[in-house]
Amino acid sequence: MEKDEAFMAEVLNRTAAPRQPSWNTGGLNSATEQVGNWFLNPNWDNSMDQSDPFESALSSMVSSPAAASNVPVSGENVMMRELIGKLGNICNSGDASCYSTPLNSPPRLNLSMVSLPNQTTLAPFSADPGFADRAARLSCFSTGGNFGGLNDPLMDSFKLSPMAGNSGSDKKNTGVSRSSSPENAESGVSKEESSVSQQIPSRNDAGTRKRKSIPRGKAKETPSPAAADDKVASENDESNSKRSKRDGAPAGNGNAKAANDGDEKQSKENSKLPEPPKDYIHVRARRGQATDSHSLAERVRREKISERMKFLQDLVPGCNKVIGKAVMLDEIINYVQSLQRQVEFLSMKLATVNPRMDVNMEALLSKDMFQSRGLLPQGIYSMDSSAQAFPFGYQPQQGQPLNNVIPNITETQFSMKTQGFQLPLINGFTDANPQVGSVWEDDLQSIVQMGFGQNQPQSYQGSITTGQVKIEL
Amino acid sequence: MRPHSSLKQEFLKEWIKGLQRCSFPKKSILERKKAIKLSADIAMASARNGTTCWSRALISSAAKDGSDNNHLVKQILGPESDRPAVENKAPARQASVCKKILKRSCRIRRRGRRKCGAAAAPSSIAKHLVKKRRQILRSLIPGGEFMNEICLIEETLDYITSLRVQVDVMRSLATASVRGTE
Repeated sequence: MEKDEAFMAEVLNRTAAPRQPSWNTGGLNSATEQVGNWFLNPNWDNSMDQSDPFESALSSMVSSPAAASNVPVSGENVMMRELIGKLGNICNSGDASCYSTPLNSPPRLNLSMVSLPNQTTLAPFSADPGFADRAARLSCFSTGGNFGGLNDPLMDSFKLSPMAGNSGSDKKNTGVSRSSSPENAESGVSKEESSVSQQIPSRNDAGTRKRKSIPRGKAKETPSPAAADDKVASENDESNSKRSKRDGAPAGNGNAKAANDGDEKQSKENSKLPEPPKDYIHVRARRGQATDSHSLAERVRREKISERMKFLQDLVPGCNKVIGKAVMLDEIINYVQSLQRQVEFLSMKLATVNPRMDVNMEALLSKDMFQSRGLLPQGIYSMDSSAQAFPFGYQPQQGQPLNNVIPNITETQFSMKTQGFQLPLINGFTDANPQVGSVWEDDLQSIVQMGFGQNQPQSYQGSITTGQVKIEL
Repeated sequence: MRPHSSLKQEFLKEWIKGLQRCSFPKKSILERKKAIKLSADIAMASARNGTTCWSRALISSAAKDGSDNNHLVKQILGPESDRPAVENKAPARQASVCKKILKRSCRIRRRGRRKCGAAAAPSSIAKHLVKKRRQILRSLIPGGEFMNEICLIEETLDYITSLRVQVDVMRSLATASVRGTE
């Protein structure tokens, strides 16, 4: 998690540096807008690292809150506050110098004051008929449906952080926003939403008290709009600029279009005070690009593709150095082909080595089970109803089998590491605790490497572990 | 990585199950190898529980009626309810076949147009290259022809991790067995 923050901070540093002069001179609103623009800038795509799912979620969150608000004036103040809060929470650890002053102190309090009288105006919004639709979509998203069966490690890593974050110091947040949600029918959804929306602020492990107190302050002061805003902001988490554009377009189309034309003329000025949140959507289309829905959709598609290509880059060893779709695709193709060939080769090898697979299975299995973290014996017990006794005689207590098997394994490194193994295993198989599990996975990987790593290309394995560690964190 | 190792365990379990179920013909190395590979593939695919497209495509292609592997597959899959995963492909396939026809017709039209005007622009050349490679990738990944680009990349990601798991487990098994027989 800290690595993620470090990545983000690093990237923020890198990309914020050239922009600082223009950014610092602007006023508060323009500053925040520019920060928001910078977030949405396509250049950002190239410099972002591992924290991609969050970035995309963030950008869509940043871009889309306006779409959901049907109340222009009051809504945008609230949205602004929301945006500022979220931006402040995001651009945090280590980058406080850039973003602290304009984002931190005055506007939040002011806007929260301003938004107090607007509570009533948001109530009809929350009863919006599309609300339930978006809420359903959000629940889909928060359970991982958004990535449509995307890679398990990615989803797990994506889910890991909200779990880790929520189990952290932000129980108050979720509690408050939960209690503050007025509608009971959507309370379940709002829980998920608040958890999703809070995952961003909760990711700041190194965050200052100020920033963390802001969502709390927001939630306390303005309970229902905060809840509604959280819902609003977090509902549109999916990177659907299309959808948000669709929502935004009928809502305030005339003004928006006029603003757009005005924006076209003022190419790089983004000081559209009357409707800044809507400008976020259209600002994305700015920078000399066409605004029609086709190109926007095209751009969304391209961004999705490039996101995923980045995941692939980290997964495939040797792809980090190359830039460019064709070369990367080439590498990926080579990699997939080589993996498939390896599978063929290994199956052939197994076929030759083991004329009788069944006999050797248990012996091999026991070694394998030992390596794969000791959880497998339980699984094997349940599965292996047939009377194929394991020669090592595993007992349900996990401490002892390790002691039994250790002398059988010739690698000394195993014995070094297994002493460390015993502790977490005896504590119970903490699959429910992903953080501990993650640490042990790294150890496990290194053990598997060391144990069977003689014949293997070491560089390949090394890159796998680093790549996996990256993805996980 | 926690999901990685749990995937490994899943795969291992399923694979062992499959290997135990399918009666080893013991006739030739090739047949054995086929059986091993097949059970490994099916274990890999079923470890995904039908969430990914490639896994379903893999299982359905392996379980195609009329293929040689059919009996093996049926044995391996056994009483498991993988049938719905298999049957789900049919309507999807029809739709995809229609899409393929459309694509081909468009491609032919474009090819004609392209030959008339020399597309020397670098961007179009680059696009052409990328398209070619995408085609190759589609052919590599099981069920890849039926996906659009975004899905293709996601499936590639998943497929690569599963392949890696497969390779790791098989390799460790192979080395362990080699060491065991020494």
